[in-house]
Amino acid sequence: MEEQNLRIRVLFVDDEERILRALRALFRDADVFTTSNPKEAPKLARDHDVDVVVCDQRMPEVLGVDVLREVRHVAPRAIRILLTGYADLKAVLSSVNEGEVYRFVNKPWDNAELRELVHQAGLIARETPALAPEPVPEKEQDTARGEVGILVIADDPLTTQRLREILESFYRVQFAITIDRALQVLEQFEAGVVICDIELAQGDVTPFVKALKQHHPHLQTIAITDRADAQLAVDLVNEGQVFRLLLKPVRLGSCRLAVDAAIAQYWKLRRNPTALRRFTAQPAGGDKPASGGLSESLLNRIKQLPARIAGITRFD
Amino acid sequence: MSFGLALFFIVLAAVLGAALMAWMSSRRERTLETVLAAAQEELRRQQDNQAQAIHTTKLAALGQMVAGVAHEINTPLGFVKSNVEVVNELLRDYEAAVARLLSGLDLVTSGGAAGLEKAAPVLARARRELTSQNALTDAKDLLRDCLDGLKTIAELVLNLKGFSRVDREGTDLADLNDSLKAALTVVAHQVRDKIKVVQEFEANLPRVRCVPAQLNQVFLNLISNAAQAMDDRGTLTLTTRGLPSGAVEVAVSDTGSGIPDKILPRIFDPFFTTKKVGEGTGLGLSIVHKIVKAHGGSIHVKTKMGEGTTFTVTLPLDFTQPNVRAA
Repeated sequence: MEEQNLRIRVLFVDDEERILRALRALFRDADVFTTSNPKEAPKLARDHDVDVVVCDQRMPEVLGVDVLREVRHVAPRAIRILLTGYADLKAVLSSVNEGEVYRFVNKPWDNAELRELVHQAGLIARETPALAPEPVPEKEQDTARGEVGILVIADDPLTTQRLREILESFYRVQFAITIDRALQVLEQFEAGVVICDIELAQGDVTPFVKALKQHHPHLQTIAITDRADAQLAVDLVNEGQVFRLLLKPVRLGSCRLAVDAAIAQYWKLRRNPTALRRFTAQPAGGDKPASGGLSESLLNRIKQLPARIAGITRFD
Repeated sequence: MSFGLALFFIVLAAVLGAALMAWMSSRRERTLETVLAAAQEELRRQQDNQAQAIHTTKLAALGQMVAGVAHEINTPLGFVKSNVEVVNELLRDYEAAVARLLSGLDLVTSGGAAGLEKAAPVLARARRELTSQNALTDAKDLLRDCLDGLKTIAELVLNLKGFSRVDREGTDLADLNDSLKAALTVVAHQVRDKIKVVQEFEANLPRVRCVPAQLNQVFLNLISNAAQAMDDRGTLTLTTRGLPSGAVEVAVSDTGSGIPDKILPRIFDPFFTTKKVGEGTGLGLSIVHKIVKAHGGSIHVKTKMGEGTTFTVTLPLDFTQPNVRAA
């Protein structure tokens, strides 16, 4: 009986039957459901109360992103993984920003990696409660806006100026133009949301974003980039669990939406810290540390940042 | 005034006049020369531009092709690779069960009641393992899919070969059904998701003497345009037929937006485009037109707003022999 319960339930969605047969054989130690009809997927996920949904992106009539968005609403407990042939930026952006996918897996996949990823996702889905997909009520959201701090890390004057205009009169915002300054702010100020321009003058900050999320999973990161690079976006999600991705030039509407969603997410996590495991970033591929490229001292400072989510710290 | 002086003035006037005329004409000539040189320079620049643009479209087509084929190969590659690894695991499990079975048999043959007693649980377990796993049936199914997938990959590569002759200028006899199929593979990633493709290919279509790589480019352009005309969904119909006059007709139809009357006369002009800056070079249809003309053929377009567009290409069987040319 005990063993039965440990078998994870996973749903695979792909229009190609031969892919489904291959996955079924690969996951012969799990309870596998498959469908080549993406429209059935949300219902199957709900009815069988599956732990993980793995969905192909490119299918006739429906995109995987849309299927996973639907799954998120009807089966919020299920962890969502998107299988992509070759990543196109639009698909990646909308699956992050709307589908909140857990990971992207490139086709052709690596059997050992996929097996490990799905089993790990299955365990997390079993052991940790999901956050309700519903938005936080407007009144509470107002309170959250007043309490949850936002740290913006950007040095490009245009972007900084834009973000000041968009954010300053509605949120508690602090600005930093270097990573060093950002850490100083984080040491003293309870930030729940970090908005980070990936291309700072001091160089690529993706290792910083990844390490920050790895050690402080409660922080919600919004990455801003002007590189139309799908693989970069995929890495930011897979290794940095970036909550939202925005393209430059930053637009008022999408930026406010992203920030509000990030604040709400932080707010929900503060109420329900056990759900954190669902959003924890892991280093890519086994033993390669996510800190790649970060100096020891920087990494130590990141590790030593006060972990505030357990107890509620008031703002001064 | 003496006659001599008068003569002198006349001669002087004549000489001056002639000199003036010569000077003026040389000036005109020089101006003409400058104009001509400028015009030649302009022409050369235009030709360079066009050559550059044609090269760019070729490269764009190549890039599109690579992306398309990579995408198409990825799916079979995905399950073939996975299946081979899984079959390997299944065989390993099977091997272990067979080894157990053999050790049980050894116990039986080693003789005596004790051997039989020891053998019983071993054999029972081996039996359970062998029957519950279905390893062989599963492995066979997976291998069948592998073969299938490899066949798909082989076909894709074969299609690629047709396109790899991008710069081979020689003529060859080509089956246009195959050319269309190859072009379709290459744009499959543009077409497959939301567009239904209907292939109405005439069996035993006469082969056409042509520069195959160029005709591939024609079909690629037409299919790609058709797909783009149907933003969301629709039907793409490819038709081939042999004409009694000894020519082959290829039609590419979409159920897309149609071409407005206003721009219809200009669609074959070089650099005319309705696409956004950066999305198209505007050379697609002008190149199509040029290639079809060079093959002694013709291209016609029929369009209706909101219903769709059909491009019909008619090609003689052998454009190198004007006598055999179609009417």
